[in-house]
Amino acid sequence: MTIDRTAVLGTVTRHLADILEIDVSGISEDSTFSDDLGADSIALIELVDALEQEFSSTLEGFAFDDDELAGLKSVRDAVDYVVRAHGG
Amino acid sequence: MTQGAGLPVAVDAMGGDKAPGEILAGALEAAAAGIPVVLVGPEGLEGRGDLPLIVASEVIEMDDDPAKSIRTKRDSTLVRAAEAVRDGKACAMISAGNTGATMASALLRMGRIKGVQRPAIATPVPVPGGTPTVLLDAGANAEVNPDWLVQFAVMGSVYSRQRYGIEAPKVGLLSIGEEPGKGDTLRKEAWSLLAAEKSLNFIGNVEGRDIMTDAVDVVVTDGFTGNVVLKTLEGTLKTVIKALFGAFADPAYKEHADALLPALLPMYATFDPDNTGGAVLLGIDGVCIISHGSSSARAMVNGIKVAREMVDTDMVGAIRAAIEAMTPEGAEG
Repeated sequence: MTIDRTAVLGTVTRHLADILEIDVSGISEDSTFSDDLGADSIALIELVDALEQEFSSTLEGFAFDDDELAGLKSVRDAVDYVVRAHGG
Repeated sequence: MTQGAGLPVAVDAMGGDKAPGEILAGALEAAAAGIPVVLVGPEGLEGRGDLPLIVASEVIEMDDDPAKSIRTKRDSTLVRAAEAVRDGKACAMISAGNTGATMASALLRMGRIKGVQRPAIATPVPVPGGTPTVLLDAGANAEVNPDWLVQFAVMGSVYSRQRYGIEAPKVGLLSIGEEPGKGDTLRKEAWSLLAAEKSLNFIGNVEGRDIMTDAVDVVVTDGFTGNVVLKTLEGTLKTVIKALFGAFADPAYKEHADALLPALLPMYATFDPDNTGGAVLLGIDGVCIISHGSSSARAMVNGIKVAREMVDTDMVGAIRAAIEAMTPEGAEG
């Protein structure tokens, strides 16, 4: 199944804003986790866990591959990963 | 009414080197003493008497990677225990299992108290004849920022006040000398921030030798250093006590040893980690007790009692209020 990219972006930014305790308006698709948002490794694990729980309802067993986590540098990377996993 | 009153403490039945036997024995004893307990373990768990059970089919092992295991073992006892607190089925959780995974489960399922940047592990260090010194962080964050240490100090002060009744706990920054300029960049920056935080009774730098004295009530440091300090203290105490009892075994000193034992045994009990009630993860939006890996039934009983006490005294609410009341950044110290 495919998934709406805009909806995924909204979900990723919503969780990030919640985890980092910042306004969602301060997060864009181009934002990098570390340099732009100041997210550290624990924050990224919080994000990954939240996304896995959220999207396992649309794709059973959805999970990030641990080997690919290091490649997630930006909001766009996370959105791409989720969309790709859903066949987009 | 206290939040969580009447709810049971969730006990990870499969966490620890002596699980499930000693864990169940401790849970049963705590329940017999009047503290409601719910076990989290596999279906058909034997030896639990009539204690209720939350079924979880997986176990996170001591050597499992914390961040990975709590995502891949979503039906583990640790994750289910944290979810029980989150979902209002338990008032607190306790585990003697994988420390990193316990912290990750609590962090990801219960969440942080708003405004808390990182939770920290607070460990009571015994002080002979006095109240324990609260050491934090004892291992949750290997690397820290200076401002995190200020939050650790605030949370540790609340803990010291709530649990030990110390009105204005003396807070010390662990360093290599008492003067403000001593230490690395982290310590120097943290010193200034701690001194500027008006809600703290900051006494400046302290050294390792001060921890087991009444010179200080709360000692803040990074998790790497804190864990090394804790293990060093534990190892040193064990060695000294073993050497002492070895000397007493000498027939030449037996008569004197017998005379001294009534005075020494209570001191020995003070140092026994099974009597401290475990470490507490502060900054989480719920109560989480981390008991040491080789916990006995007695350690679990004491840990469950501390969990209950933290709920009854609303430790989480007190920390939330203290974090909100912190001096705004940039305000005059």
